[in-house]
Amino acid sequence: MKYAFYPGCVSKGGTPELYEATVKVAEKLEFELEEMRDVGCTGAGVLSREISDPINARTFAKAEASNLPIMTICSTCQGVMAQAQHRLKDEKYRNYINSEFLSDEGLEYKGTVEIRHMLWAVVEDFGLDRLKNIVVRSLEGLPVAHFYGCYLRRPPELMVPPEFKKTRKTALEDVIEALGGKVVKSSGRGKCCGFPILTSNEDNSLQMCGDHTLDAKEKGAVTLVTPCPLCHLELDGKQADAAAYRGEDINMPVLHLPQLIGLALGFTAKEMAMQRHLVSTEPVEMALGFEVKA
Amino acid sequence: MEVTLKVKRYEFGNDLGSSEQSYTIEIDGQDTLLDALLQIRDEKDPTLGFRGSCRSGFCGDCTMTVHGKGAITCRTKVEEASKKSKDGVIPIAPMKLTKVVKDLIYDDEQFHWAKIKATEPWVDVASTVPDQDQKISNEQVKELRLAMSCTQCGLCDQGCVVLAIDKTYLGPGALTKAFRTVHDSRDTRYKERLDSLSGKRGMWDCAHCFEASEHCPKGIEPTDRIFDLHDKVIKEDLGVGGAKRHYKSFAASVKADGWLDEARLAIESEGLGNVKGILRLIPLAVKAALRGKRPMPYFLHKKRPGHKKIRSIFEKWEVKK
Repeated sequence: MKYAFYPGCVSKGGTPELYEATVKVAEKLEFELEEMRDVGCTGAGVLSREISDPINARTFAKAEASNLPIMTICSTCQGVMAQAQHRLKDEKYRNYINSEFLSDEGLEYKGTVEIRHMLWAVVEDFGLDRLKNIVVRSLEGLPVAHFYGCYLRRPPELMVPPEFKKTRKTALEDVIEALGGKVVKSSGRGKCCGFPILTSNEDNSLQMCGDHTLDAKEKGAVTLVTPCPLCHLELDGKQADAAAYRGEDINMPVLHLPQLIGLALGFTAKEMAMQRHLVSTEPVEMALGFEVKA
Repeated sequence: MEVTLKVKRYEFGNDLGSSEQSYTIEIDGQDTLLDALLQIRDEKDPTLGFRGSCRSGFCGDCTMTVHGKGAITCRTKVEEASKKSKDGVIPIAPMKLTKVVKDLIYDDEQFHWAKIKATEPWVDVASTVPDQDQKISNEQVKELRLAMSCTQCGLCDQGCVVLAIDKTYLGPGALTKAFRTVHDSRDTRYKERLDSLSGKRGMWDCAHCFEASEHCPKGIEPTDRIFDLHDKVIKEDLGVGGAKRHYKSFAASVKADGWLDEARLAIESEGLGNVKGILRLIPLAVKAALRGKRPMPYFLHKKRPGHKKIRSIFEKWEVKK
């Protein structure tokens, strides 16, 4: 399967380990990734739609011209793009965006692009049975708490529409199980991680981060896994601050989705660049029988 | 059909606290949960406290928690609710996050109306000459109609993840009400209102996670209404604080480089003159750098190959707005 790969800003900046793990795992899954370089940021739900819609339409036009579906590795990129894609189904609006913003460059978005998060590509394009068959290091009951990131869940009519309910409603849980892991249902799994309000209300943001990571810990998870690098920036990057804010130890590793898949496909923790995390991933490595430096 | 409703009971000031009471009744499955509660009060227990008024989904008075989720009980069929549990029993509790007065009756003044009132939800017109029409265009009313259809049922606030941890936040219900006033061209306090809504506990505390939109039974999309307010504040260059700096820096880096300069965003969100704030970033930046995370700011941040095209899109948009 070949994709127009849209890595997003964060996998090239704050979470480089996600990009590294994605490229290696994609190769194992025989996903051919044609990286989209000449494209802009989605706007991440921060920028006004008046400016992010034309930028996203430009990305869509380029993917459409290459006749490839877009593959994202970020719940936020996926969500923002899906909402833009939905608005751009309106022909009048699409014509306006094309003529006002894209025609100078000779581009036109025709409204046919497909956008798939890697999680969905694994479940829908590669298949869970095939995934089970290529597992070389079963997670053997490793308790994993799943954390989707709100933009991969809502609005539900766009993110989990009826025709994809079977595959997308429990996609993350299904992948964890296919890899041999045990799903731990954390109460925050479909909720906001707290990252979007980090600047405007840090206390509330840290409260959320603490709630999610502590809940996973209390339920016996050895790690959280997320398909969203913004959730990772919060749950891994701000976990120490959340622990200080709450006055409690947390130490809950947070893996990116491709890292969890990669471990089960035989990659080492280093190959999955887990040393880049701010919260040590040693508990996961020890549980999987890796040698961990004392 | 025979159905059992397990209702949370509570007596204000009763030291025994809350308890549950089950009522089994015979009712048509197509009747609503509010019908069932009215039947219970008529036939079995006149002491059962709950609110309900229009019975048509217009007044938002009968919102309760059913199967752990917010529901408008006059719009929820008994059969449909019963099918959601294996034993067919329907658990009903008062609205979450609220102070309960009795059984299913909550204090909506404290949690809901106080926030609505804080937005001063009336249109302040320029002239108050009697008999003088205060007109608004049909086009504008079209845009307002959705927000005006809000019944104050409170379900958006029930779903809000921020209110769940911080009851001082204005919340999606009140912000949607505020949108209705801000968007009305007859109002003379446009900038003042936006400025006030940009303050602490206001629109920038929204996590834009779309929970409010998912919970709204009228399709008003409160999350989108809050986005509309954000856009207006940015366009008018109003508001203060980290959220505004964050937006400006985000837009500036995408315009300059085609994509986000995360390190620049962190610095500028604190404020370039805010030495204490910037120093606060250093421990995390050092820790991240030591782990091989090195997002480089400003001129060290690589531009995307198509950054000039992205800049051109920005420039066209800026001319339009």
